Amino acid sequence: MTDLNKLTLFQARQGLKSKKFTAPELVQSCLNRIKSLDKKLNSFVTIVEENALKQAKTVDINLPLGGIPLAVKDNYLTKDIRTTASSKLLDNYIAQYDATTIDKLKKAGAIIIGKTNLDAWAHGSSTESSDYGPTLNPWNTQHLPGGSSGGSAAAIAADETIISVGSETAGSIRQPAAWCGVVGFKPTYGRVSRYGIIAMKSSTDSPGPICKSVDDAATLLGIMSGHDPLDATSIDEDPWKKPESRQNLNGLKIGLPLSYFPSQIQPEVKEAILKAAEIFKKFGAQIIELPDVLDPKYSIAVYTILQRSEVSSNLARFDGIRYGHDRSFFGTEAKRRIMLGTYSLSAGYYDAYYLKAQKVRTLICQDFDKQFQKVDAIIGPVSPTTALKVGASKGQAMFGELQDMLVEPSSIAGLPGISIPCGFDKIALPVSLQIIAPQRREDLVYQIAKLFEDNTDYHLQRPTL
Amino acid sequence: MKITPIIGLEVHVELKTQSKMFCGCSADHFHVEANTHTCPVCLGLPGALPVPNKTACEWCVKLGLALGCSINEQSFFERKNYFYPDLAKGYQITQLQKPFAINGKLTIDDHEIRINRAHMEEDTGKSVHVDGSTLLDFNRSGVPLVEIVSEPDIQSAKEAKKYLNKLQQIIRYIGISDADIEKGSMRCEPTVNVCIDDQFYTPLVEIKNVASLTGVMNAIDFEINRQVKQFEEDRQQKNSSNKTTRGWDADKNQTFLQREKEGSADYRYFPEPDIPPIIFSKEKIEEIQKNLPKLPGVKISEYKMLGLSDYDANLLAEDKDFSEIFDKIISLDNSNEFAKFSANLLLGPLKIIEIEIEKINPEYFKKLFDKKSELSSTVIKQLILDSYQSGLDPLEIAQKQNLFQISDTGALEKLAKEVIETNPKAVEDYHKNPLAIGFLVGRLMKVSRGSANPQSGKEILEKLLK
Repeated sequence: MTDLNKLTLFQARQGLKSKKFTAPELVQSCLNRIKSLDKKLNSFVTIVEENALKQAKTVDINLPLGGIPLAVKDNYLTKDIRTTASSKLLDNYIAQYDATTIDKLKKAGAIIIGKTNLDAWAHGSSTESSDYGPTLNPWNTQHLPGGSSGGSAAAIAADETIISVGSETAGSIRQPAAWCGVVGFKPTYGRVSRYGIIAMKSSTDSPGPICKSVDDAATLLGIMSGHDPLDATSIDEDPWKKPESRQNLNGLKIGLPLSYFPSQIQPEVKEAILKAAEIFKKFGAQIIELPDVLDPKYSIAVYTILQRSEVSSNLARFDGIRYGHDRSFFGTEAKRRIMLGTYSLSAGYYDAYYLKAQKVRTLICQDFDKQFQKVDAIIGPVSPTTALKVGASKGQAMFGELQDMLVEPSSIAGLPGISIPCGFDKIALPVSLQIIAPQRREDLVYQIAKLFEDNTDYHLQRPTL
Repeated sequence: MKITPIIGLEVHVELKTQSKMFCGCSADHFHVEANTHTCPVCLGLPGALPVPNKTACEWCVKLGLALGCSINEQSFFERKNYFYPDLAKGYQITQLQKPFAINGKLTIDDHEIRINRAHMEEDTGKSVHVDGSTLLDFNRSGVPLVEIVSEPDIQSAKEAKKYLNKLQQIIRYIGISDADIEKGSMRCEPTVNVCIDDQFYTPLVEIKNVASLTGVMNAIDFEINRQVKQFEEDRQQKNSSNKTTRGWDADKNQTFLQREKEGSADYRYFPEPDIPPIIFSKEKIEEIQKNLPKLPGVKISEYKMLGLSDYDANLLAEDKDFSEIFDKIISLDNSNEFAKFSANLLLGPLKIIEIEIEKINPEYFKKLFDKKSELSSTVIKQLILDSYQSGLDPLEIAQKQNLFQISDTGALEKLAKEVIETNPKAVEDYHKNPLAIGFLVGRLMKVSRGSANPQSGKEILEKLLK
């Protein structure tokens, strides 16, 4: 059997259960793909071949993820496996414990085949700021995969794995998923435990899946979610369950925020989103233009202040005393963020920056509440452009914030959202659509995304490598 | 020159909860092998998150209520950012804007000391300096701490000591900490300056490393004198940027400069994003208030109402267990006489070191009280001690040992004769000086094993010796 690595989670499980192939064969096929491709793509920081094959031999394939190869963003702590957050500061750091989500995924039978690349400390939207070199976009290696979960998104797009997990603080799941033409599902803040994931902006960090299909992502989210007594901000609810899919969207109101189509938007992106809206309309949804959604530019400002502030505190523990190297190993971007955050929290500036940003955050949340009185869900582009060229982020301190401007508001408000492929631009780079719903309404996000996927074939396209 | 000391106290108390403030590790760190009570959370490993200890939060509220504070129904934790090798996360989780408890007071000899706040935080690890290198022990990292901050209302070293004693007593009463200064479970940092001639205020000084109650007193006294002398020299007054930190050297009995310009420290506080706000409902606060034990101040005034002296009332109320057994005893008979009778026994024969409270049987006090006309006071004291040690009924002991007072003159006469016969020298003395009868009475008491009534014994002896 060849090309097992190209299977979706659903297909791989079927194949394993019907004994068309074995778990070691499946794992080996992904590892082979990584070996043949990854020198070029650089999706992985660490590959755990030996251990993965060993586990594949004994795993119970009847478990929900039994024998399924899993690529993990390298900011998740994985016991006995190096965890770097793509920073040389942690080059020699072997995690002493598993993140809660890793524990859940392992118990469900998933086999970790490697740790994927990210912008160092998840500070970025290009994966170009990794201390281990940039990851390249499988659709066109002259382009970026997006970030910060660029390694996971590229690994999925390039069929180097069956499933992967990433984390989003403001776009870090949805934006790379969009640029790589795969599915990225960002849950409600608190739906998935943050315990054991290297903290970036604690108040919005949301771990979630990046997969080849909406169903795969929803299945994975179900396994990752659920209350964690080790995370005080985790939602006190049972694990999320994937609902029934829908044949139509009758009675559903879908909002189209006009402010999500800024003047600098790439015309093909706008066109693809409007085309998607037509599909939803065809299936019974009412499309409602939202003329008064807050301009995303406010979210950029809020996010920048809050993120830098929290980062300056979250990175303080990396002093090289108990683990890792000393602070001289921080890269330029981390240093820049620590300095800006330290400044915005300083006496005399706190009120003008941090406190004001928190107040605007409240306004952004209220704005969504207001919009969700008019519509059930909101759709829009994930990113104003398709994947930019390698080098585009260099010297652009606000690169990420601008690329993520359309996903930042919903991140700041802790809302669930998904990125799904909905077209291609003229040089065959994927265009993606995001679907946002009120807090805890992942069911709506899933149903709308699933219906779109069932009736289009963008997700079936794969890059030729 | 008129000198008015202005003293405020910051007191840190380690709670004796089972687990640490933000993780499940044991909070016990006294004489524990280094770094054995640790986990990803208290070691500040990447990805680890704090989950607040509910009991510790409730205990902080409990202490707040015991100190007469208002409780904030909505509180939150904040991060205090600073670097120190034994501060695992690079920040301490504490409370600044919304502490659990605010605006309380403690009254010392009719002088009210206002309490600004009682807030919850976590302890740091420990730096151990050995042969020029520094070792780190994180067993203490994350142990729950309550910080109690007074207003600068304390006016002397002596008053500071009383304040600390009283605070310590309340903390032990409500059972949230050992509050042991020598062991470090209670730590105190006085801030001192003086007002000279009602118009000049000397610069503020915070004193660190005070490790005993006497140390607190000595450090404050030293600092008052030093500041007055300093002022006479340089006439420098307090301003917003000249607060200093001085260490206390107990051996040399003096403070020394540690840090200047304390005012410029910036801890970049901000709300802890890892912990949602903590809510205490009115009902919950009322429930905690209702379950507070009776505090020593209340007990002392109750005891005084029962006719006990100020001294005795304080002595009984000082220790919670001791006062609880006293309360049990006096619940058996509500007369003032019984209270005084029992207090005398508890503070007399039973005020022995290391008394095991659970061995005291309140019933025995009542039994002895009811038979006190038939027992001499010496015998009663002996019986309460014997029954405490043996667990036996004191009246049975008295019966067995024939300790009930001999009211029968015949029996007394027999004993008196025996005393006269065996003490010829004393009899001789008596004939020279009648005051010497005391010795013979004493002998009589001894042979009767305390059961003789001393007055009638004396009368019989005098009659026989005529």
